[in-house]
Amino acid sequence: MITCDEFMAELGNYLERDVALEVRRQLESHLAHCQTCQVVYDSTLKTIKIVTDSGSFDLPDANALPIRDKIMARIRKETS
Amino acid sequence: MGYFGEVELGSAFPPFTTLRESFGFVPNVFRAQTLLPRVIEAEAGLAGAVFWNERALSRIQKEFIALVVAANYGSTYWFTQHHQALVSLGVAELELDQVVKDHHQAHLSRPDAALLDFVLKLAISAPWLAGEDIAELRNHGFADELILEAILVTSLSNFFCTLSTAVGVLPDLQPRPIPRSQRLPPQKRFYGGGMSGPHLRTVELSPATFSPFAFFLERFGLVPGIFLAQTLRPDLIEAEADLVQKVLIPEDILSHVQKECIFLVASAANLNTYCVAAHCEMLRIMGISIGESDQIAVDHQQAEISESDKKLLDFALKLTVRPSEFQCEDLDVLRCHGFSEEQILEAVVATAVNNFFNTLQMGLGTTPDFEARHVFGPLEAHPSASVDRLTERAPADPDAELVARVQQGEVNAFEELVTRHSRRVYRTLMGILANAGEAQDAMQDTFLKAFQHIGEFQGRSKFSTWVVTIASNTALQYVRERRRLESLDEVPSDEDGDFRPRQVRAWVEDPEQLCSQTERRSLVESAMMQLPPKYRIVLMLRDIEQLSGLEVAAALGLGMPAMKARLFRARMMLREALAPHFVSTAKRMGQ
Repeated sequence: MITCDEFMAELGNYLERDVALEVRRQLESHLAHCQTCQVVYDSTLKTIKIVTDSGSFDLPDANALPIRDKIMARIRKETS
Repeated sequence: MGYFGEVELGSAFPPFTTLRESFGFVPNVFRAQTLLPRVIEAEAGLAGAVFWNERALSRIQKEFIALVVAANYGSTYWFTQHHQALVSLGVAELELDQVVKDHHQAHLSRPDAALLDFVLKLAISAPWLAGEDIAELRNHGFADELILEAILVTSLSNFFCTLSTAVGVLPDLQPRPIPRSQRLPPQKRFYGGGMSGPHLRTVELSPATFSPFAFFLERFGLVPGIFLAQTLRPDLIEAEADLVQKVLIPEDILSHVQKECIFLVASAANLNTYCVAAHCEMLRIMGISIGESDQIAVDHQQAEISESDKKLLDFALKLTVRPSEFQCEDLDVLRCHGFSEEQILEAVVATAVNNFFNTLQMGLGTTPDFEARHVFGPLEAHPSASVDRLTERAPADPDAELVARVQQGEVNAFEELVTRHSRRVYRTLMGILANAGEAQDAMQDTFLKAFQHIGEFQGRSKFSTWVVTIASNTALQYVRERRRLESLDEVPSDEDGDFRPRQVRAWVEDPEQLCSQTERRSLVESAMMQLPPKYRIVLMLRDIEQLSGLEVAAALGLGMPAMKARLFRARMMLREALAPHFVSTAKRMGQ
């Protein structure tokens, strides 16, 4: 059985689905028995989902078109 | 000391004496090869002829070339060696870092800056090296003898970087971190595939009086053009012939056919038409059919060779195109397939020698000596493209058609690219600048740069990744100009790994039910704004933009391990910041 420290050391790779099969088995076996690591894992997954779905830092629609027009005007001026 | 066992060769071993005289000590990269003394002899001879024999370029000029090649390759071992050598020659450390970051901003003479332009182009985009690049050097006063030496020093540095990667060498000196380059890749105007020459002046040398030419004639039936193009320096040709005799020809460890196959596969991966044609011909002389050598060059997995030989070629291929991912486990694969330590070491050396000759040939621009059945074109000619070709196909880029139209002069097609990618670019810029006004200004600059350089975009990555890379560099430039931060690395990188969660209370089952989309967005934005920029940007690209890990690493110029460590740390920091809003009340009361 791996320790909590070992679990934490591999958690980043596990979240990225980048661990060998054997390591994955060990991590999942640890998760099944360790409530603290379960909480960390579960809340990290939820964090990623919240961030992904948040639509944060979106370029406001009101600004998108004028900026695009400015860019194209500069490019057309440069190429003309 | 390294990945391979060592044998005692005695302090009187002549190459060690030579190396001690040159370096002041015997560098570990040579000690790590004591299983193959003949190879060390050839390497010491070549290093002596190219590097220590002051005929044309000065020692400082050569050290500068080797420094920038090592930095570009990512070899901390060689970067540290050349850095130390230059410091001992009286060059200030700050100046050296500036040369690596941007040699045009360093206090170099204009000819020396032009020399490094040339070297970087040869190291990074050799197939685009053309007669005009040679002419540029001549305009700066470089004679052909000096240009030849510059090509040789670049090729030799590439050789030693490959070698040190795969022998697992321990540092001789306190390792020095490589500063990140701030220059755009070299301009690619003319694609010649490394065959637009030969570029340099030559003199007459006869096989009757010059023994290396007699050796080539006897062994290969002709004197290859790559050697005829270096007649300004017979001593270099002698050292190269010695390398061929001591690495390629012997049959005592790997067979000559196995080594020719390594050269063939690695040359194909480097998309070197000249060398592929030459090694196909060598294999034909040794009884391998044209069809079979073509198959090995294009995809050795489908060739009718043994499984162990396929692993051997996989190994050479990885070391050639993905040296940053090379690890000692790659040696274990060969051990498992029955290769001895000596055989594996010889495979490493053969791959490194191939990289030497590939770079050298591209610099000289020689045309093939034999019929080239496969001429590598500009769209293939990039290392990552070759990886895709030889392993798996990259997914089609949805922007490819629009990009092609812009490259053909259709300016209006660029408008659609701006529309498609403005949000992604904006987020990237916000990830670094954390200021909406600045991000919008930087967005204009980003797309303008993308338009100006779109002719150089060769489809090695998706257009979206490419434009995000430009945005990231543009934002860093803004940061530097405003002197807010020195770089994204203001927090020492060793903090990426060591992290212990503080909040360990369970969260509610469905946190998104607790607050509205607007509130969640505000929470996330506020928490992300508190993160150091290097964590914010990686989260922005991976979790908000949902680029793949590889794309994020490429866009930020990071290796995968560094990117993953940073991403994990960023996610954990954000989790800590969001936790007070989402922990389960019931759970809290129950505790």
